[in-house]
Amino acid sequence: MGRRSFLRTSAVLTTGLAALAASLKPLLEMNDFPTMERFLQKYYKEMTPQDMAKVLKRIEDEVEQQYHLRPHVRDLKPMDGVEFVYCLNLTRCIGCRKCVHACVAENNQSRDPEIQYIRVLRLPDGSLDIDKAGHFYAPASVPEKGFFYMPVQCQQCENPPCVKVCPVHATWQEPDGITVIDYDWCIGCRYCEAACPYWARRFNFTKPSTLPKERLNLDMSYLGNRPRRQGVMEKCHFCIQRTRAGRYPSCLEVCPAGARKFGNIRDPNSEVSYILKSKRVFIQLKEEMGTAPRFFYYFDV
Amino acid sequence: MRNYFVFLRRCAAIAFAGDWRYYAWMGLLTVLCLLGLNAYCRQFAHGLIVTGMSDEVSWGVYIANFTFLVGVAAAAVMMVIPVYIYKNEDLHDLVIFGELLAVAAILMCLAFVTVDLGRPDRFWHLIPGIGQFNFPRSMLSWDVLVLNGYLLLNVHICGYLLYCRYRKIKPAKWFYIPFVFIAIVWAVSIHTVTAFLYVGLGGRPFWNSSIVGPRFLASAFTAGPALIILAMQVVRRVTSSSSLRAGSPGLGSAPLPPSKRRAATLEDLDLLSRDLLEMASVPIEIRQRVLPMVEVLEVPAGGALLRQGETEETAFFILHGSVVVVREEGGRFRVTRTAGPGEQVGEVSALHATPRMATAIAEEPSLVLSLSADALRSLMESPQVNKIVRSRMSERLLITDRALMTLRSIVQVSMLINVFLLVNEVFKEFYSGNLHDASSKYLFVGLEHHHALVPWIWTAITFNLVAMVLLVLPVSRSLKWLNLTCVLCIVGIWIEKGMGLVIPGFIPTPLGEMMEYRPSLNETLVCFGIWAFGLLCYTVFLRMSVPILQGRLSRENEGASDRSIPAAAPASPPG
Repeated sequence: MGRRSFLRTSAVLTTGLAALAASLKPLLEMNDFPTMERFLQKYYKEMTPQDMAKVLKRIEDEVEQQYHLRPHVRDLKPMDGVEFVYCLNLTRCIGCRKCVHACVAENNQSRDPEIQYIRVLRLPDGSLDIDKAGHFYAPASVPEKGFFYMPVQCQQCENPPCVKVCPVHATWQEPDGITVIDYDWCIGCRYCEAACPYWARRFNFTKPSTLPKERLNLDMSYLGNRPRRQGVMEKCHFCIQRTRAGRYPSCLEVCPAGARKFGNIRDPNSEVSYILKSKRVFIQLKEEMGTAPRFFYYFDV
Repeated sequence: MRNYFVFLRRCAAIAFAGDWRYYAWMGLLTVLCLLGLNAYCRQFAHGLIVTGMSDEVSWGVYIANFTFLVGVAAAAVMMVIPVYIYKNEDLHDLVIFGELLAVAAILMCLAFVTVDLGRPDRFWHLIPGIGQFNFPRSMLSWDVLVLNGYLLLNVHICGYLLYCRYRKIKPAKWFYIPFVFIAIVWAVSIHTVTAFLYVGLGGRPFWNSSIVGPRFLASAFTAGPALIILAMQVVRRVTSSSSLRAGSPGLGSAPLPPSKRRAATLEDLDLLSRDLLEMASVPIEIRQRVLPMVEVLEVPAGGALLRQGETEETAFFILHGSVVVVREEGGRFRVTRTAGPGEQVGEVSALHATPRMATAIAEEPSLVLSLSADALRSLMESPQVNKIVRSRMSERLLITDRALMTLRSIVQVSMLINVFLLVNEVFKEFYSGNLHDASSKYLFVGLEHHHALVPWIWTAITFNLVAMVLLVLPVSRSLKWLNLTCVLCIVGIWIEKGMGLVIPGFIPTPLGEMMEYRPSLNETLVCFGIWAFGLLCYTVFLRMSVPILQGRLSRENEGASDRSIPAAAPASPPG
């Protein structure tokens, strides 16, 4: 190689490498690069109890590092003989959106951008046509004359399209009927979001915002309200950290109108069993999709 | 094995050698790639929030481009059908270029899916055996399999055929023909599976229609070959003046020399213009000027006009009879063509002063006009003669006009079917007037004061219709019009299939919310980066394969410096 061509080659190489380095520079702005431990973490269903214990401890450590508060992160298992069902009384719902905000608080959701699991639809009296729904109503007071309200969240389908389409089994249905997501397994392809007929799934388009310390819910569950990361899906999980411990979902507890009912459909004496037996008409949203929601809307008639 | 590495090394080396145009083009693409990489790094650090996507419209231009390119990849290989099933010789060399295009398109597809992932660091969750692969339930897992399988198939076929050409050995049929047929079926499957990604979603009535699959195939077979028509002309332009390799001299048994020759008269030129109408445009002064440089030969059957490997600046026009052109390749003889009255022989080497590429032998007693290179140049001062002679010359290079016309008829039929299917779709959506047509309304006429996509889709429809009309008219037989048509097809289908199919599926949301989508600057830069990356790959593939197919890069010249193998013109200075 001649001197000239050597010089030329090295000049080209230097320029090229400098340009490459400049292109890669935004990676320095990344503050959440996955550690080797997180990168190699096993799939939820393949973890041994020891693996899970380690992961839960790691999550607790991470939260503690960020907030200086130690959460209690559990991996609650479904209870035998339990299948959860939600019933929502459309006659009673006043569209106050208290459930929306209680849900955000309970589940440690990102506030900026704010991720909400529940969308309350305002429909004109007489129609269940969702295309007529108002999403961003903001009157001085609710309820408004001539309208009724329909909160929509994950319908926990018996035949969930989101589970079917996920290429990596990152979302699945548990024996108690709750469709859950392993936030550490999701690859963020958003196919489930496209598949869901209820628009119930939410994507973390960026790193979830840090919450004010006093707002953090320290009672956490692996498949529920533990902190999520950038680039993964999340959605309503019937407050798994509460309901699997025998409590009601927070949207139910906060409802001032008593429109929300929740319980075990396999228990013939439960409130939801009574409602489904006694009401003449109840609505499963988009019933014709064949998704068989475990979420029933009904009227006081 | 060693041979194979030498082959790879030489291919790699040649990718870095070229004239200034090559360097400028590659430099431009590299800059675009780096800009795209920069934009992607920003997205990787901050998340998909830097795109225009939202929970409402959760797929955008990445998936739109992906969908379009799967079609290109599928269509590129479908050109194999005319060659291997119908034995269409015109397309023979084009097949390799088509398959290389498929490889580049699949690479772009994989890049587009990857940049769309929220957690690309978890890609290993998708690897069967190591991760959790939801096969066969998830259509996305099917797509992962078929795309990667398709990539491997095409890399194998192209790589093997090129390597055989390089070594000048005959490819073993069993080692590639079965794969060719698998690739044909596979090509249909990759695009069908991609259509099923959408069709399978019951919650999105706009996609949940059985016509999407056929529409995808029809639009793919329009846009894919259209892209190849354009790409091949670029290749031809770049390689057109290249000198083909000089073979060994002559045939085994020495053909007879021409028996009689005499000086030509003006009547002989008139005789030629009977079969070569363009000759009539040559003014009488020029005819008189060239006359001393023209002779008439009477050639007996079996007599040779010219022999492969000789250097001699004479061209021939056949007045009467017929002449076969035989080319010796690796000890075998192949009839490349037959020339009849009005057709020319030997003009390439006469004009370029290069050795004869083949031997021309009279099939029957023939009468032939023999001209010196200067005489030919004088005649070619007439634009008509120039055009016909040049176009016949280019036909004999790798990419013939006839091959392009075969592609044109593929585009023609596909576009007709495509438009027909679109009409079906539009009719069903609008005539029945049911309530599930909100997305179509939004797309075609706008909905509730939202009409971002309306100008796009009407542009696409206009382009498609104009292209369809042009394709049906004979005017698109001229390359100028054909190129315009191809551009219209590609742009029209890119919009129709990308922005026109993926985006409106999300608008309104399943809960009836209207939220529009506009790609962000960052997202657009990533797309440009990936397109540049794909073009870069394709350019490199062509840079390697054209000299191999032309026999200029082979095992025989292993010792020679690869930098002296030009991309194209002999005029281009080495590296």
